[in-house]
Amino acid sequence: MIINYLTLSIILFCLGILGVISRRNVFTVFMSIELMLNAANLAFITFARLHVSMDGHVLAMLVIAVAAAEAALALAVVILLHKHKGVLDTNIFSLLKG
Amino acid sequence: MNHDFLLLLPVIIVGAGAVLLMLRAAFGKLALDSASVVCMCIFGLAFAAQACSALAGPEVPFKAAFNGMLMVTDFTRVAGLIILGCGFFTAMSSRSYFKENRFGLEEYYSLITFAAFGMLLLTMSHELMTAFISLEIMSLSIYILVGFNRRCVTCAEAVLKYLMLGAFTGGFFAMGTALIYGGLKSTKFEVIASAVATHGFLHTPALVGGAFFIIFAFLFKVAAFPFHAWVVDVYDGSSIPVTGFMATALKTAVFAIFANFLMLDPGLKGAWVTYLFYISILTMFGGNLIAIGQGSIKRMLAASGIVHTGYLLIALVAVSADRFTGSVILYYLAAYSVSTLGIFAALSYLSGAGEVRSQFEDFKGLARTRPYSAAAITIFLLSMAGIPPTAGFMGKFYVITSAIQAGQVTLAVLGIVSSILSMWYYLRLIINMYFHDAHESFESECTVFAPACTLILAVAVFAISLYPITL
Repeated sequence: MIINYLTLSIILFCLGILGVISRRNVFTVFMSIELMLNAANLAFITFARLHVSMDGHVLAMLVIAVAAAEAALALAVVILLHKHKGVLDTNIFSLLKG
Repeated sequence: MNHDFLLLLPVIIVGAGAVLLMLRAAFGKLALDSASVVCMCIFGLAFAAQACSALAGPEVPFKAAFNGMLMVTDFTRVAGLIILGCGFFTAMSSRSYFKENRFGLEEYYSLITFAAFGMLLLTMSHELMTAFISLEIMSLSIYILVGFNRRCVTCAEAVLKYLMLGAFTGGFFAMGTALIYGGLKSTKFEVIASAVATHGFLHTPALVGGAFFIIFAFLFKVAAFPFHAWVVDVYDGSSIPVTGFMATALKTAVFAIFANFLMLDPGLKGAWVTYLFYISILTMFGGNLIAIGQGSIKRMLAASGIVHTGYLLIALVAVSADRFTGSVILYYLAAYSVSTLGIFAALSYLSGAGEVRSQFEDFKGLARTRPYSAAAITIFLLSMAGIPPTAGFMGKFYVITSAIQAGQVTLAVLGIVSSILSMWYYLRLIINMYFHDAHESFESECTVFAPACTLILAVAVFAISLYPITL
């Protein structure tokens, strides 16, 4: 049973990576990052069940708090970008070319 | 007598100061100029507190309450001193920068203080979740600082790139922590160390995978080779004092936790030393290649930051995990921080309103009109290039010597070759300043703060080079 949850967590994590790499919309990219963090949360909870300890639950709560703070900042950045350019496609932000 | 409170006093001062600054700014009770003075006072106080608590040996503050999540050693103490010094000089040069550019909010100083709080906690953290949270406190404040000038489109673009990639690596760090928690039932460094010591690093796949993800995140944050491309864009997009702060304090904090994590056990370091060997070579030469092609000074300095990361990785490869002191790493970080902060302080009053002077050509003939500023910039550039008698030379000397002592002669030779290559772009700016006629007067209506900061740091370049360390 535990192994199924772990597999799900890994699938979610890989989907998140794929989303960050392949998607071009700023919103979708930030959603994919949230997906990666939530995959980590699922892994924490699963391992907490495996070890029969509460530590994993606490760690997952902390990650949720950090993810919320990051989402707040990400939304502010989305609004800032929309004000400047009017679109949210990452391809048009190309003033800085490294 | 229990020294726990004294050990945490710098963190408490910086944390409480940040909250205080934010509240005063929110209620509009603080003018911009006094905010910078308060910020400098906070950093000065915390620096004094950190310097005073020179108690020998590793200490675990509030072991019962914090469950051993923080650990204070001489290494973390000196790293904290460097970070607080960087904060102080950034607050000083920011004041002149804002005068010049006619923008700025009081919250800026609060965010610098919050970032320093996260960095201090990061150096001390002795548990993965604490490290994750302090990394995020630091990163979130830095993201906001990068995009602080809301009217500027390049700033918005820089913060987009930094936030996307930074949050991406944050996800990796969280997953790595989860895997290590799954494998070892704990996220504490001492548990990881004892597990690696008894069973070896390759005992559980969860530990290998977790350590891989975490080291991936650290390599990204210090801009090592495969993950270095973001640095140039992000540094170019943010305002000059913020760039200086990111280049120095952030690198110090992340290198401190990176070294703390890697040196937990010789087995952990032994598993990674081959990869770090190649990463450090590629970082040095990749950074040099990028820096040579740049026309803008800020981008050149960003790329040279990548090269310095390469030298620090050499020090990390060479240091022995059995009796880890980290003196070489800290010395190099101090030398690099002083020269980089110095040049950014000089640029923050010389680049003019809206950072109009940003290219190499814009600084032609600076030595004719402003000889003292040009001399200070020359000192900083020579220190970064590694010319004696500057701190940068002594830093490189210790790094190369420690590499030879550890038997890494290839790394030592390649380090010297890369340092010779880097002369090209450092000397290019010096040539522009000294061997051309001035087309403009480089007038600036700045306050005394940034020039004073430049002067202090120029003296510090020589002062640090006189400080002896044992390898």
